[in-house]
Amino acid sequence: MIFLYALQLPKERRTTMRKILIIALREYRAAVKTKSFIVGLILVPVLMGGSMAAFMIFKDNVDTDDLKIAVIDHSQLVREALQERARLRNETEIFDKENGEKIKPAYILEFIQPDSINPFQQKLDLSNRVRSGELHAFVEIGPSILHPDSIQENTMIRYYSEHAFMDDVRYWFSDPVNNHIRQLRLNEMDLAPEETRDLFYWINVEGMGLVEVNKKTGDMQEAEKTNELQSFLVPYFMVLLMFMLVMMSAIPLLTAVMEEKMERIAEVLLASVTPFQFMLGKILGSISISLTIAAIYVAGAILTVHQMDMGDMIPYRILPWFFAFLILFVIMTGSVMAALGSACNDNKDAQNLQFPAMLPVILPLFILVPVMQNPTGNLSTWLSLFPPFTPTLMLVRLATPVTIPAWQPYAGLIVVVLFTILSVWIGGRIFRTGILLQGQKPTLANLISYALKG
Amino acid sequence: MDIIELRQVTKNFGSLTAVDDLDLKVPMGTIYGFIGPNGSGKTTTIRMIMNILYPDQGTILLFGTRQRNQRLDHVGYLPEERGLYKKMKVYDVLKFHGELKNGKNLKQEITYWLRKFDLTAWTDKKVEALSKGMAQKLQFIATVIDRPQVIILDEPFSGLDPVNSEILRETLLELQKSGATIIFSTHDMNMAEKMCDYIFMIHKGKKVLDGTLNDIQNQYGSDTIRIQTELGAGALEELKGIEKISDFGQVQEIRLNTQADSQTILAEIMKKSRVLRFEITRPSLHDIFIRIAAPERKEDNHA
Repeated sequence: MIFLYALQLPKERRTTMRKILIIALREYRAAVKTKSFIVGLILVPVLMGGSMAAFMIFKDNVDTDDLKIAVIDHSQLVREALQERARLRNETEIFDKENGEKIKPAYILEFIQPDSINPFQQKLDLSNRVRSGELHAFVEIGPSILHPDSIQENTMIRYYSEHAFMDDVRYWFSDPVNNHIRQLRLNEMDLAPEETRDLFYWINVEGMGLVEVNKKTGDMQEAEKTNELQSFLVPYFMVLLMFMLVMMSAIPLLTAVMEEKMERIAEVLLASVTPFQFMLGKILGSISISLTIAAIYVAGAILTVHQMDMGDMIPYRILPWFFAFLILFVIMTGSVMAALGSACNDNKDAQNLQFPAMLPVILPLFILVPVMQNPTGNLSTWLSLFPPFTPTLMLVRLATPVTIPAWQPYAGLIVVVLFTILSVWIGGRIFRTGILLQGQKPTLANLISYALKG
Repeated sequence: MDIIELRQVTKNFGSLTAVDDLDLKVPMGTIYGFIGPNGSGKTTTIRMIMNILYPDQGTILLFGTRQRNQRLDHVGYLPEERGLYKKMKVYDVLKFHGELKNGKNLKQEITYWLRKFDLTAWTDKKVEALSKGMAQKLQFIATVIDRPQVIILDEPFSGLDPVNSEILRETLLELQKSGATIIFSTHDMNMAEKMCDYIFMIHKGKKVLDGTLNDIQNQYGSDTIRIQTELGAGALEELKGIEKISDFGQVQEIRLNTQADSQTILAEIMKKSRVLRFEITRPSLHDIFIRIAAPERKEDNHA
């Protein structure tokens, strides 16, 4: 396509285009022919797949040593119920049904008589037993759990352990205690179990898309069930892929240009090409690198998802947006990185500039979740129209099952195109001056001065 | 026809005027030597010709036009500090530079030049594997791979051993014979004297010499005596009419005062020692350079 376009241009423009392409081709070859590129290309999906596999393998592979938990039951109501549920769990849930192997720890409950004289001393003693490893945790069940009174502490179940927040055992206690006291309350009301069945029937809210008209047949089409996996996994995958591609192709331009400047390669090349052609060639090389990686990963992901019979999850309608925003994002970031690289004189300069320069790429990742939760909200809409964030956030909004107003992606595209042109123009002016200047620090004042004077 | 023309060109870096109101014409097919002390403005002038730096004032014409970008494809440039992609292979470097300059028959040219500079065995090696001298030869080949009409070389001989200097010198003369115009800057006055049709000297941003070696030497007249005596420099002590003595050990060079008579001086010296050689000559380029660039640092002033 670019070559066809180049053929139609007048000679001078054709020469310009040819030079840009030669620089881009060198950049592309220099990047993709390296071992680190190939290793990185393979390593990323291997690491991602490996970590998922490791999660699947190890998620049930927990420590199977039995856990001893002390219970102080102030209510004197739930001892039997808890013992029965623990016995049932220890007999049926902790062994693999196929091979009989123990896969979970048994819960051993030790009931402690409440110390009404010095309750704090009792809890301190139990805490020390937990610290020494004799106990896993201890639970204190309030005295008024059956009929809650005005003192909140009396109606609570408290779980004491070293890692209470992340402890699965804590969640296990809630069910048997609540079920049992609910049954006691029903008994007090003298209600038969069949009469109370409907009372406790819990109805879930099912997430659905919207009803729409089939464009081909004109028939009304039932809304589809919202797929949680699709709602989060697809946008996450796309944004992370875009982030990774920009990190692999555009961000390295900063140090690459700085090295070319310091090793005087730039001066040699500037005898053959203009600074603008040089910069554009490098950015075009970055685009080619990112598109190569994107093509490999997207094709790989599509094949994998089809193999898993989950082809419906692939958002084909978003792929053109993905590639359009990716190209613009690489140009936008690449021109800034190349400009900053041209102003640097050593690695220290480059290191100082790299993080602030990467912020527009990183920041959208921090607001990804709120945008995914409410893609049509005001915050999501306006942030996704802020050019540095648009490629990431507009893509996220497009990738969620929620339909966003049709004009917004196009508006985002126009805004990004304009901002990209501005970035390239300013970047080009900084690059033209910076690439030949030695010994000038890349301060904000200097950068502004280069941009203004060109 | 003048292939390069500078008209009243000035370039400032902040408060420093690197090149000041410079006029220069480089005729087609000549070898033009740029000389001058370090920091005098040679590289800045060359960079402005190459459109790498833009003059603050004045005009630069290349092939008779101000539109230099397209014309630069016919100019080969070897900068003072060499710069090559270290991870690229020798062949790929030459192909890359040749393609950028729209060179023809690149494969044959690469083979020819690598053989000429004895680098054929390194064709598939990476640049980082080359020695400094080899990398310099490679950079020179990259400069001329497309057979440019104008070749501009900033210090091409620095860092080369005598054998490679000789190969480079012969190559430049061959390129000139084939029609190329060559500009090179150098600190090697001997090389400039031997090779250049025209010599241009810049000092503190201003042109101080411009013309053929003959013209330049004629400006200074025959005020130099090259002498060899049995007593050496001792025979020249307390002579009158001498502005400066440069002692080279076996031979001494005397610069005369304007009113001094060479025959009187010869007679004075013969009273002290046997004279083995006495030659009235024009000053060398080296001597002229020093007279301009370092008048305050007189090595051995007996005036």
